[in-house]
Amino acid sequence: MAIINLKKKEVQSKIVYYGPGRGGKTTNLEYVYKKFRSRIQTEMVTIKTHGDRTLFFDFLPIQIGRIRGYDIRIQLYTVPGQVKYESTRRLVLRGVDGIVFVADSLAVRRKENVLSLKSLADNLASYKKSILEIPLVFQYNKRDLTDDGIPLLPVEWLEQDLNSELKAPYFEASALKGPNVAQTMKKIILMTIDSLRKDLT
Amino acid sequence: MAQQRDEDNFRSQVEDRLDHLFQEDSPEETEENVRLREHPLKGLKAILLSIDWEITDSTMDSLLNEIKNVEYIYSEDKIILTFLQLLGSIGRYLKVNKARAHPNATRVINSVYEALEKAALTEEMPRAEKEKMLLEEVANFKKLKEQVVLRKVEKKEPAVSKGAPPPAPAPEEKEIPVTESFLPEETPVGARAEARFAGMSPHEAFAYALEEIRDVIRAEFRTLRAEIKLWRESK
Repeated sequence: MAIINLKKKEVQSKIVYYGPGRGGKTTNLEYVYKKFRSRIQTEMVTIKTHGDRTLFFDFLPIQIGRIRGYDIRIQLYTVPGQVKYESTRRLVLRGVDGIVFVADSLAVRRKENVLSLKSLADNLASYKKSILEIPLVFQYNKRDLTDDGIPLLPVEWLEQDLNSELKAPYFEASALKGPNVAQTMKKIILMTIDSLRKDLT
Repeated sequence: MAQQRDEDNFRSQVEDRLDHLFQEDSPEETEENVRLREHPLKGLKAILLSIDWEITDSTMDSLLNEIKNVEYIYSEDKIILTFLQLLGSIGRYLKVNKARAHPNATRVINSVYEALEKAALTEEMPRAEKEKMLLEEVANFKKLKEQVVLRKVEKKEPAVSKGAPPPAPAPEEKEIPVTESFLPEETPVGARAEARFAGMSPHEAFAYALEEIRDVIRAEFRTLRAEIKLWRESK
């Protein structure tokens, strides 16, 4: 749930990057943080395990600036993708306004993608939110690995597995190299702010 | 009508802000990426990038196969071959031990690869410099080996309080081989697990499993404490 401070004219919105472990959620935020460092002007907070895995969450606040007199701030979070951190994922989803589901395009991760999406729907339901209603963008990550002969899931399969009912916008991306990383973020921010618009007008 | 115009205007303002925020500074293509695209190491790099912490046999098999391919290409270059040998040794260790592998193993394998890439891609790099990089990685590798052995010893000698139940057997941890002749025998995971639980009663097997979980949690906390300490020191 976005925090709207009418007195201070501030809007604070929360977007969470969700998906299976090693899918590239943290890499998304890291790419944006490094690439647009000069304009973001905030610090990224990350806590990792010894295996460089996200332990609690990553956090990157972004200031969009003043629109219609409101100072708009976006808080970007990732969740730890490993199965064992289910309770942390649920906790990070508290008060979420928009979701990017980062699916792993590796053929061997097909099942993990589906299970992770199911856990997202369940965790949202625990906060009485519907995955059908919340602003959601899919990112099919690691598409660049196809150049290296690594077997990837065709986008049609990913769409069929994950997005056939939700019909959310999707991007084929490479969080490591950059294509469509910023586009994914722009899309979810736009959709999230759009959904909050009624509160602002 | 006016409301629609108002909405469009708002949306357009947000879009403009986002366009400005995420404006591309310059093309992303670096000289290194261009060279890498044309380079025989690219397959190896891709596999290393795709190695999961929950390391699978198939990924590790791909890594070991790719190392063989690259070894064939660089069969005349002893420095590169030694780098590849280091990668292979750590790769086999990771394959056998998976999540129980020493936490530094993934760091060392990535460090060895980075040095290998530098040595292989930088044509003008003097041989002496390549040798120096190799020696540093060999030292890292040896240090990792010591850490693996030390951890194994620590697990074998847990502090037992008076009256406490006898400790469960420590999980097996294969040491990192230095040369081919010391390579661990490859055993299917299921077979190893069966061998470990063989002869145990259900409650012993349960205690053993608990002990393993405890070890993992302890290792996590140990590393976390070390990382927090490092973070504080760097502040």
